[in-house]
Amino acid sequence: METEKPARRRETKDRRAEGLPSGVEGFNDRARRAVADEELHDSIELFTRKSVAGRNAVLDALPEAPELRERAYRIKQETMAHLDRHLQQMADAVEARGGNVFFAADGEDVVRYIGDLARSKGARVITKSKSMATEEIELNRRLEEDYADLGLEIVETDLGEWIAQLAGDTPSHIVGPILHMNRKRITEVLSQTAGEDLPPDVEALGSFARKRLREKFLTADIGITGANFGVAASGTVVTVTNEGNARLVTSVPPVHVVVMGIEKLVPRFEDLSVFVKLLARSGTGQELTVYTNFITGPRQTGELDGAEEFHLVLMDNGRSKLLGTDFEEALYCIRCGACLNVCPVYRQTGGHAYGSTYSGPIGAVITPLLKGHDEAKDLPHASSLCGACWEACPVGIPLHDLLLKLRNQQVEAGLAGKAQEIAFKGFESTMKRPLLYNISSKAGRLAQKPLEKNGSMRPLPGPLSGWTDSREMPPLAEKSFRELWKEGV
Amino acid sequence: MRVALFVPCYVDLIYPEVGVSVVRLLRKLGVEVGYPEGQTCCGQPAFNSGFFDEARAVGRHFLDVFEKERFDYVVCPSGSCTTMVSHYYPFIFKDLPEERERSEGLAGRVREFSDFLVNVMGAGDLGAHLEGKAVFHCGCHQRRELGVLEEPRDLLAHVGGLDLVEWENEELCCGFGGTFAVKMPDVSTAMADEKVKALEESGADTLISCDSSCLMHLEGRLRRTGHDTRVLHLAQVLDDGKAG
Amino acid sequence: MSDRAEFLASIRHRTQAGRYKPTNAPDVAWTGESGEGGPIGDPPARFIEELEALGGHGKRVEDREEAREYVLELARKREAKLLIRWDADELEALGVDEPLSDAGIEVTVWRELADFKEVAGKADIGLSTAAWAIAETGTLVLEGGPGMGRSVTLLPPTYVAVVPVGRILRTVPEAIGKYAGDVGSLPANVCFHTGPSRSGDIEMALFVGMHGPGDVHVILVG
Repeated sequence: METEKPARRRETKDRRAEGLPSGVEGFNDRARRAVADEELHDSIELFTRKSVAGRNAVLDALPEAPELRERAYRIKQETMAHLDRHLQQMADAVEARGGNVFFAADGEDVVRYIGDLARSKGARVITKSKSMATEEIELNRRLEEDYADLGLEIVETDLGEWIAQLAGDTPSHIVGPILHMNRKRITEVLSQTAGEDLPPDVEALGSFARKRLREKFLTADIGITGANFGVAASGTVVTVTNEGNARLVTSVPPVHVVVMGIEKLVPRFEDLSVFVKLLARSGTGQELTVYTNFITGPRQTGELDGAEEFHLVLMDNGRSKLLGTDFEEALYCIRCGACLNVCPVYRQTGGHAYGSTYSGPIGAVITPLLKGHDEAKDLPHASSLCGACWEACPVGIPLHDLLLKLRNQQVEAGLAGKAQEIAFKGFESTMKRPLLYNISSKAGRLAQKPLEKNGSMRPLPGPLSGWTDSREMPPLAEKSFRELWKEGV
Repeated sequence: MRVALFVPCYVDLIYPEVGVSVVRLLRKLGVEVGYPEGQTCCGQPAFNSGFFDEARAVGRHFLDVFEKERFDYVVCPSGSCTTMVSHYYPFIFKDLPEERERSEGLAGRVREFSDFLVNVMGAGDLGAHLEGKAVFHCGCHQRRELGVLEEPRDLLAHVGGLDLVEWENEELCCGFGGTFAVKMPDVSTAMADEKVKALEESGADTLISCDSSCLMHLEGRLRRTGHDTRVLHLAQVLDDGKAG
Repeated sequence: MSDRAEFLASIRHRTQAGRYKPTNAPDVAWTGESGEGGPIGDPPARFIEELEALGGHGKRVEDREEAREYVLELARKREAKLLIRWDADELEALGVDEPLSDAGIEVTVWRELADFKEVAGKADIGLSTAAWAIAETGTLVLEGGPGMGRSVTLLPPTYVAVVPVGRILRTVPEAIGKYAGDVGSLPANVCFHTGPSRSGDIEMALFVGMHGPGDVHVILVG
């Protein structure tokens, strides 16, 4: 039974075939469309509201939560300070268990390693559990293209990821990949795959998915997972799911490949008690997800299931550049999705508007850092700097401050544009000279006279039209506070 | 008790009545109020857009102005401007030891208006009266950097005739974000609409905040969408609702 | 306690360097004022409470005989044709094989299986023990190893675990602590299994039994 890609439909984009869209100057356009989409807004609102409520309730019931957060930050800080040592330790531990370790500098390396492995095994079916790292490097598409002769069938097994894959779509949220798809659309997609009209109820759709994916689980030659955490001291890889797909992907096929970002390490096994307590609570409002799975190397002698061959691919892809810099904290992320859920911008636009694998606050921070400013010029500005992300982050990453630093980086690199540079040079000149400030404000009051109407400003030109297009703007007051003070307040 | 008044540039130029109410209230409590005249702006617009050098230049001027005379405190009727000085000046001057020391010295003495009233002056009932049903919007900097959430509510609780009610999504950013409001206007407006909807559902006729910037943005959207909600800064409410 | 104070003090020392400023805001989402966490007075009861809140079934029985009865009853109710179980002494001693067989229900033990996928995939019920259980969260700690097939706990739609109460730990950190001391002897697989498999990917509506068992039973013996 082949899973065919559905024919291209007018109203949906085959984002996977096109590759990842560039974030350059695209955010505003995509955001404009997203903001006008009421159905999308309702979906996002439902998801984020439930997630945040769940998270708040479950953290509220944990008296040691603030302390855990500080410890999590410190453990990650320690990990990054000696990342090379921990990576070496991880590799040694995995190899001592009979596993294989490969250090991949970038996505190309990862694709090559896995493709060659698949070829050497004569693999046809590959099952995958959710891995943002593999999305980041577009693993599926590149394997299918570069190793086309193998006729690989790569099947996502997380329900949301599978549906997205079938629809030719990409995930729009780290934890709830298809929160942007409504039931009708999902029914369409699954019915097409089923070859019959499925009823639009969760039971029927879920049961079909279980049955169809079970076939894949049981016939897979290779299982690929990501890793939520890696423990350097023991060589253990931890996967966290509710569906059980990661456990199936790692227990049934004879070969298991883990693609793990190098920043996912923690030094000691006991460090997990901090992170395991935080991840599910922050991400889904659960104390623990249904399956928290600890894999240490291939199966032991006497085991009948579990992988016979274990491969750990440790991927850099731009992460090491951040070590020891002002932006290192961005590597502390455990991909829980809490920042997306509380972000007031994400709430209005959804994930696809960000034009990147990673969306929301963490996406706005790491996309320019991993891919360079040219690829994501808009993203550091896609924020009102409210700081809700920092407040929600279980590791305490000051995402809003990192966004500010990214904006500064752009300015220093001359990417801010002439208009802004002139405007803020003017701002500086005016604001450090009280006389000039006073003159400018008086001039402003004169200038606004023809533009003022009934206590409000008429539509203003240039960048300020962004304001007056949708909001009333108050005029400058008749007398400034300064003048009133002089007259005697 | 001698305080220096730090009046945000948009309060100076657009909402001077807020500054006037602040002065009246402080004097009512027996505080001597000074107004360092060379002040202009805290520099936040440049800072938020990543223009740290320009922000530093403006910050230096601010330090010069507010160090001229010794005051017990610097009081500011804006959570975001207070945060700029108390939190972000040490940040932008991190690598400049002299300015850093100066800014750290000043940072401890710069207080947001409601914070000053409650935590320094121990103010409670100021004898204010204003009829109406109101919601309070706490600016993001005030909430997350300053942690001054309860003080405005404590003060509003004493205002005779005022019914302060809860509203949905009260922790959500209003969408102003400085230049964000014009750089990403669609999202900024959508964020405002979220708050407008919550206000409608609450049945409130009055919107109160300690940040005139948030109020400017929300009022702008309220008026454009045909609402005649009364929009007031906390200082105005405590000054019997004087609209200027 | 002094360890903790020192520990936190060293964090604060770092924070003064400006790298991390803990939020000053009264972080409602982070302070545990209204915690019902508290000390776990009755671990078996708490375990069952947590498991049932997740849609699992928990029961405490006095002895092996009652446990056996539960399993037999479950097999009858589910109209099971095939039950697959771990190859473990305590399950041997549980004595369900014969009665099930007599009732026409085939029992396969996880040993020397030619094609485990075939058998486990067809089974209606999976039966195992557990290395530990965690009261705080209603979690089973399942170790992999000879005779302890992962698939037994994963492939059949109904799953039942029989666990002596003496193996109930209070908290998740305690359970992690059981393995942290000697990582060299970690099994190739340890799984913290908490309740029925589920997915919320379709409009956040709950679907139970996504890929793993949706019908989960834990019998606490003793």
